[in-house]
Amino acid sequence: MSRWFCTIPALVLLPLLAPGQAPAADFFDAQVRPILENRCFECHSHGTKIKGGLALDSKSGWEKGGGSGPAIVPGKPEASLLIRAVSHAEKDLRMPPEEMLPLAEIALLKEWIRQGAPDPRVATTANADLRTSDPWKAEFQKRLDWWSLKPMGQTTGGTVDGWIKAAQRTAGLTLAPQAPPEVLRRRLSFVLTGLPPSAFDVPSPSFEAWVDALLASPHFGEHFARHWMDVVRYTDTYGYEWDNPAKGSHEYRDYLIRAFNDDTGFDQLVREQLAGDLLPEPRFHPAAGTNESLIGPMFYHMGEHRHGSSLAFNGIHQEMVNNKIDAFSKAFLASTVACARCHDHKLEAVSQRDYYALAALFTTPRWTSRVVDAPGRNEGAIAKLKELRDAIREEIATLWTGTVAFEGPALKAWAAAHPASLKGIGAPLATPDDWPGMAAEWRKKREAARKANEAFKPASLEGWVFEGEGFAHGRTGDGTPLIALEGGNILAGLLPAGWHSHALSSKLPGSLRMPPQHLVPGKFISLRTGGGGFGGHLTIDDHAFLNEPLSFYADPVPQWKSFADAVLKNGVQQVTVEFCTAPLNPNFPPRTGLAKGLKNDDPGHDKRSWISITDIVAHDTAGAPQDELDAFGSLHQNETAADPWERIATWFNDAVRRWCDRRTQAGDREVLEWLLAHGLLPNQAAVGSPLAGLVAEYRRVESGIAFPRTVNSMDEREVTPVKYPLNIRGNVDTPGELIGPASLEMLHGQGIGDRLALAESLLNPEHPLTARVYVNRVWQWIFGTGLVATPDDFGRLGDKPSHPGLLDWLAREFIREGWSTKQLVRRLVLSETFRQDSRRAPDSDPNNRLLSFYPTRRLEAESIRDSLLAVSGRLDPQPYGRPVLPYRVVEDGAKRLFSGPLDGNGRRSIYLQMSIMAPPKFLTGFNLPDLKLPTGRRDATNVPSQALILLNDPFVSAMARHWAGQLTQDPSTLPEQRIHRMFNQAFSREPDDEEVARWQAALQSFGGDVPAAWESLAHAFFNAKEFIHYR
Amino acid sequence: MKPHPPRPGSRRGVLAGAAAGFGLLALRAMAALPAGNGARAKNIIFCFMDGGPSHVDTFDPKPMLKKHEGKAIGEDAVSKRSQSNAGRVWLGSPWEFRQRGQSGLWVSDLFPHLARVADKLCVVRSMVGELPLHGQQNLLLHTGRILGQAPSFGAWVSYGLGTENANLPGYVVLNNDWVPNGGLENFGNSFLPATHQATMFRAKGIPVDHITPSDSAPLQRRKLALLAAQDAAFAATTSDAAAIEAAIANYETAFRMQSVVPAVADIQGEPEAIRRLYGVDSADEQQRFYATQALRARRLVEAGVRFVEITCPSIDGNNSPWDQHGLLKRNHEKNARVTDQSVAALILDLEQRGLLDETIVLWAGEMGRTPHTPKITDTCGRDHHVNGYSIFLAGGGFRGGTAFGETDDFGNSVVHQPLDIHDIHATLLHRMGVDHEKLTFRHGGRDQRLTDVHGRVITELLV
Repeated sequence: MSRWFCTIPALVLLPLLAPGQAPAADFFDAQVRPILENRCFECHSHGTKIKGGLALDSKSGWEKGGGSGPAIVPGKPEASLLIRAVSHAEKDLRMPPEEMLPLAEIALLKEWIRQGAPDPRVATTANADLRTSDPWKAEFQKRLDWWSLKPMGQTTGGTVDGWIKAAQRTAGLTLAPQAPPEVLRRRLSFVLTGLPPSAFDVPSPSFEAWVDALLASPHFGEHFARHWMDVVRYTDTYGYEWDNPAKGSHEYRDYLIRAFNDDTGFDQLVREQLAGDLLPEPRFHPAAGTNESLIGPMFYHMGEHRHGSSLAFNGIHQEMVNNKIDAFSKAFLASTVACARCHDHKLEAVSQRDYYALAALFTTPRWTSRVVDAPGRNEGAIAKLKELRDAIREEIATLWTGTVAFEGPALKAWAAAHPASLKGIGAPLATPDDWPGMAAEWRKKREAARKANEAFKPASLEGWVFEGEGFAHGRTGDGTPLIALEGGNILAGLLPAGWHSHALSSKLPGSLRMPPQHLVPGKFISLRTGGGGFGGHLTIDDHAFLNEPLSFYADPVPQWKSFADAVLKNGVQQVTVEFCTAPLNPNFPPRTGLAKGLKNDDPGHDKRSWISITDIVAHDTAGAPQDELDAFGSLHQNETAADPWERIATWFNDAVRRWCDRRTQAGDREVLEWLLAHGLLPNQAAVGSPLAGLVAEYRRVESGIAFPRTVNSMDEREVTPVKYPLNIRGNVDTPGELIGPASLEMLHGQGIGDRLALAESLLNPEHPLTARVYVNRVWQWIFGTGLVATPDDFGRLGDKPSHPGLLDWLAREFIREGWSTKQLVRRLVLSETFRQDSRRAPDSDPNNRLLSFYPTRRLEAESIRDSLLAVSGRLDPQPYGRPVLPYRVVEDGAKRLFSGPLDGNGRRSIYLQMSIMAPPKFLTGFNLPDLKLPTGRRDATNVPSQALILLNDPFVSAMARHWAGQLTQDPSTLPEQRIHRMFNQAFSREPDDEEVARWQAALQSFGGDVPAAWESLAHAFFNAKEFIHYR
Repeated sequence: MKPHPPRPGSRRGVLAGAAAGFGLLALRAMAALPAGNGARAKNIIFCFMDGGPSHVDTFDPKPMLKKHEGKAIGEDAVSKRSQSNAGRVWLGSPWEFRQRGQSGLWVSDLFPHLARVADKLCVVRSMVGELPLHGQQNLLLHTGRILGQAPSFGAWVSYGLGTENANLPGYVVLNNDWVPNGGLENFGNSFLPATHQATMFRAKGIPVDHITPSDSAPLQRRKLALLAAQDAAFAATTSDAAAIEAAIANYETAFRMQSVVPAVADIQGEPEAIRRLYGVDSADEQQRFYATQALRARRLVEAGVRFVEITCPSIDGNNSPWDQHGLLKRNHEKNARVTDQSVAALILDLEQRGLLDETIVLWAGEMGRTPHTPKITDTCGRDHHVNGYSIFLAGGGFRGGTAFGETDDFGNSVVHQPLDIHDIHATLLHRMGVDHEKLTFRHGGRDQRLTDVHGRVITELLV
């Protein structure tokens, strides 16, 4: 057995020193100093080096500590970094790094610290000078000297071809001749729409007309939106362990499609995606009926979201923040800011402070759901419902005034027949004989409750944020009728005074967002809330992105819920609570199993959901306010009648009359609710009565209200800017200085305090990156490779521009033309450079950086699938909507990985559900990018599994069958004509004679002119290399 | 490093240079360790114990837990690498531990079959992870990074060593479309060429997607003949004929894979004794799945696949099979019943075929389980714990019958020789003859490594 197979812990063999066994200084000199000298001084003393800023050769050295803070906490060995380091129990903190100290030495160090770490050594003078110089400043200045940080060139005039030809001339190259028209048509069609030309019913117009027709096609927006979706790491689910749905992702996708189709300026898209929630004048889309600007910030929510938060597990949130910073800086600035998480950037002019300033900027807002319907969507219906509710109330008042008159004897008889009902409001009916006792008991309880309630102060609503039409009508008055939406009853109940999202319709959304707990006065805040349909509350720390502490309300009668100020740890600075209906809950539906009663395959949208909040109080001691028993007030204060049953009758009659006269007083509503619940008040309208008509009309209008569209976006109303702790060496457990919001210093972003200012800074016409980065992306989408071949990195690890002058000229033209993507695209595709042939000249440059021919390009994954749909005639061109589940062989319900139809109902691939956990397999086979990461440029690999997919995937076979079915519908067509048609549809060209002969012979070998043979032929077309390429 | 001689039936010689990822000899040479390091392992079989088996119930005996059962663990035992708080209580193991075999290695009664091959097992008891969460730990175990966004270990091995059989992928995952926490990224190629991503073999039904020809062989042959002519003409019209020609060659490879892959996955022809050894005909469906996959793992390794991973079937619809926050006894026993016999069988079978020396069996979950529990009940369980847990390695030059590293008396934290997954990756690559610091791929402006900036070769684990 080997040396290290040791089952007896060495620790038990140690003779441990008891405190006081030796004088402290002696103990240090005899036992501790040698350990420090032998084991630590090599790297942590002034005689050698001071790694990590930590010197252990003086007391002040360890007191001050290094970059991670003090090394020793006297008296607390377990809390001392030194002990954690020498124990080698933490992976990133092992000292000495090579080999752990003998356990005996560790025990001595612990004992020394436990005794208070007596250390007679005094500071060396050199200690004071540590880390005073700042080499970063000088280095930063040097790094600003980089092409992409310098102003764009000023050349005006010229053409794309002028720039390209000039560069070619110096290399002795020329453009290739113009490509044949059919080649060009196919190229243009795929470049602009991702679909083959056969998908468009446009009769052979001129090239320019073709360009305009395709730019005007709704498929242009789909294709370009998909390009941008790579850049912003688009996903429909959040991946990780449970693949939670990313709420409203498809609204963001559709917003992008609309924006590209409408040619919304890229400047506006930058503004909206970075700060759409902050725009003073948001942009509404008339056709879609949406607040487009508010959808934009879902950009931030893309990527993986891991459940839980830093209060539960430190480190999760920080990883996600890193992804946000990475996506922002790559997408808009082609900069690798995320590399500066642990230290100043190794190569770029980006400091670690810059990174944390962006973190502060991005975590200042609430990351929550917003209603993106344009305002006023239900305005008419809501006004009508209010009107109808009022009219119904009047009719009921008339009904009750005319028919309700409680009398003592009848009540007595009723009470005798309903002994089980004599509780709560009904309790006085159980004990009318002991009137004085009952009244005294009531007074006693009321007095006690009033006294106890003095500890509870109504909370100020300063800093609280309301959202949604459900709360837009404010607090409802006590006793407001809640109209039943179905069944024979008129009233579903009478609402207590408060906010009720369902007061008019339970389709209306509502959310109440609390300020951070520590900012709300009192150690506790209590709210009386109720709800249903997965209305509830969500506790959020540090604006974490996917919060799991969720509580769904199952009780429609509001109950007190108390929230104590949370104990903050792990650097968490604030905890807040949102009370919301399901559509405004950013984590609804949550992972499977957390929403009891919601089936795994139920996506949880378009459902009635509501919450009520009646009271909000602040207090310093635990507990909740007590009922002051107002309901019995008029019972016990009314001394007129001697007979208890008459008193009770009067009590009831008075409550009813006051309600009918709109003089309701505290407690009346509870009495009326009780009467209603026990059938003692009429709650049905006579058939054909005006009341019945009003109720029917109310229900009709209510049914016309649309469910809200909500999207995970941002809400920066009433928040205080966050200061984000710089994580020393990127370690989440060593938070350092708190950094306030700002943008990058290299872009003069120090003064930028919110995301809107950030967006506007990017849109300064002299900004060196925004326009350059975007026009380069568009160039790449058109030509296959960007002028800068690394579209996400314009820094020192990226490529330099092949045509710097052209890049700058295009960027300036782009800005001049109002940041118009379509103008830019038009300019590029109308160039000779775009229209040249794809045959390589013998002496062309190997990577074609000078564009002496148009490259042969393999279709992107979506275009391969979309071409199969389009060519076979199965394409359903319907745009927009909720994602279609991809086809799956095996389902996993716990993770909601269900299967969709084999052909996705014929919908374009952009509409397939992009699940981080299990993305559509057909697409991943052809290089769909990682959905978690910003991807400026896709791979186009070439592997045998792609051949297997096209040969054997049942979807490909189904499309071949469908196509063959279409082709053979007309039996009179000759095989040769059909082959011509197939070439046109699949390859966008006519076959030559040899090809016709080849495919006719193949048809014969497949069985001749029979459906099965045509299907085989169609399948062969799909497997031809020409099908998945264009030139 | 000299490439291994192709095995019979290998197409490598024929297809070297084709686009399927065989043109990597230069890279292999760069990363290769000097010769003379003893015979090298050629393959890895990774038995992934998804969810995190409990170390203190399997390979790390802690009698103190029984002694102190029910007592509060106290503030000193709380760690961020463990779902812990001071009020939780120690929980003794429901299983007896015994010393096994010649070596006297401790293995609990949970694993009666593995106990019989104890002398082959090199147990590491001192694994330390980063965060006690499945997603992070799975990605760390598979990709070396808690965020993922990097190639899987299997992809790196495939990339570094190539495949020995051009008709089979270099990295195979045997499961049943179970997606582990962290997603399919656990098996992905990330920035490495796509040919190195895992090919998934399903336990039930058709083992591999797209492998069953949609046509009869003669019809498919006729289609391929048509395509060969059509594609060659097309290639001549493009600016990138080489890529088109490589795609044409891929069709030939794909054609052969259609027969090779099902043949290697087909265990019908295995002798009765072998089927019994693995438990292929068990009455328990989950065990049948696992046994089938374990037996396929051996066949794949024999056929030249570099890296084979077997995942555990989910039991009771649990998100990750070994994740027993409750019902520890019942469900750890279920998991053991599903996997124990087959893993032991795999080790025995490889040994009797003389393949164990060149095949490393890695048995690891992404975490261990807390030695404590919130409250002792009949249904209590153990929670997430990465502050010291156990894995084992067998074969491939690892030192059997030994236990490396040490946790404290309660199995709560490592007190001796902490290792992290980077160390295991580095050591495994080392045994494959690859220097983990030199196996790199340029991406994002950096020479990326499986072990990032970490990893040490732990020679004490080796014979």
